[in-house]
Amino acid sequence: MSASDDWFENAPCGLILMKRDGIILRANRTFIAWTGHELQSLVGKRLPDFLPIAGKIFYDTHFAPLMHLQEHFDEVALDFACAGGNRMPALVNAIEGRDEEGRPGFIRLAIFRTADRRLYERNLLDARDRAEETVRVEREVSELREQFIAVLGHDMRNPLASIASGMRLLGKEPVSERGRRVIELVEGSVIRAAGLIDNVLDFARGRLGGGLTLSRDAREPLEPVLRQVVDELRSIAPERIVLAEYELDDPIDCDRGRIGQLLSNLLGNALTHGAKDKPVRVLAGSEAGTLRISVANGGAPIPVATMARLFQPFFRGQVRSNRDGLGLGLHIASEIAKAHGGVLEVTSNRLETRFTFTMPLA
Amino acid sequence: MPNDQRALVLVVEDEALVRMHGCDLLESAGFEVLEAETADEAVALLEKHGDVHLLFSDIDMPGSMDGIQLAELVHERWPNIGLLLTSGHRRPQETDIPDEGKFISKPWREGDVLDKIRAILAGK
Repeated sequence: MSASDDWFENAPCGLILMKRDGIILRANRTFIAWTGHELQSLVGKRLPDFLPIAGKIFYDTHFAPLMHLQEHFDEVALDFACAGGNRMPALVNAIEGRDEEGRPGFIRLAIFRTADRRLYERNLLDARDRAEETVRVEREVSELREQFIAVLGHDMRNPLASIASGMRLLGKEPVSERGRRVIELVEGSVIRAAGLIDNVLDFARGRLGGGLTLSRDAREPLEPVLRQVVDELRSIAPERIVLAEYELDDPIDCDRGRIGQLLSNLLGNALTHGAKDKPVRVLAGSEAGTLRISVANGGAPIPVATMARLFQPFFRGQVRSNRDGLGLGLHIASEIAKAHGGVLEVTSNRLETRFTFTMPLA
Repeated sequence: MPNDQRALVLVVEDEALVRMHGCDLLESAGFEVLEAETADEAVALLEKHGDVHLLFSDIDMPGSMDGIQLAELVHERWPNIGLLLTSGHRRPQETDIPDEGKFISKPWREGDVLDKIRAILAGK
């Protein structure tokens, strides 16, 4: 065997010479060894005969037409069907040769086995598909969970309204001092549960794309709503001192129920996290075209790192107790502020922690 | 409505305790009260009693009609009856309620319920 024959036959890649119509003229030993086909079974057949279905289609629709147009083709990924039924993944370079008169005559193919690389690429694709599938499933599950929360919240309100009504009825019956205290405590718990449900529903609704809806109107005063909220929270925490001042002279165009919910969340937060022996101060006032409602409590200042995350949903700070709730209160309060075109801000130092809601009145 | 006549209010509510509370609240304030558990029961009562002045109905109820549909039907058949709707979850615009009817959210503040009812009756 001449040196050039040897170089052809035993090249470190498969080599095929074929006519423009794909009829194989020669194939080297390397290719034969890799695929297991006999030389006689290759020569005279068309190249696509040794490709699986997808490869045949690719050959006819892409490879052949482009080959005619540009006379070469680089790094085409093709699987070859081997004699034993296996497939051999490969990258193929092709170049067209011309005869002595310069007419296009035959095509040279160099074939590189790429089992490892193709496997690696396929694994990457599979991993990406699996990741996308996981994300999709998780999104579906979380949407379902939020719908579930919304429905549960709705359905919880009916029995809760029943308990509230039942307590009102019992309160009108003659009961002992102790019985009256029990009724008050149950009523306080109903208020707390209703507040939690409101927050969870608002959160679920926000996540489901409905957002907070406001029904604003300035015709009725805001103060009685705020007073009622303060009274309710005093009844829940009778051992604590809540000082409240109201200076609301201007008509206030707001959703009174929502602003009441905002105050309830801030006050609930102050009662839960503030020092038990310090009063909680509520100030509600309107001046210079601004409504300002603030709630201040004593106790250790909020760490700087915590401040940035206070208004995120489900944030509950370091200290956990069973009265912490879901950690939605400040998040919802801040969403209510935003929906009114206002802001909820916090300052915290050794003297006090103060949450302040401000909104423009015009 | 003449002053010497006690107004008759029809309370429609599927939750028994809430219905009892509503009836008790209105009776204590001096109203005559009829009660129904469903919209269909309410319509049957209205057909029997020609002198109901006000419908005080929950919105979310099982049965063939919810409270808003009931209010629409009552307004069509008995246009003189005042309308007050209530709900624990839905907050309809008052414009959704026919005949300039009013809405009050649950849980009720008892004073508000009575204020609204008196305001509606005063307008009739």
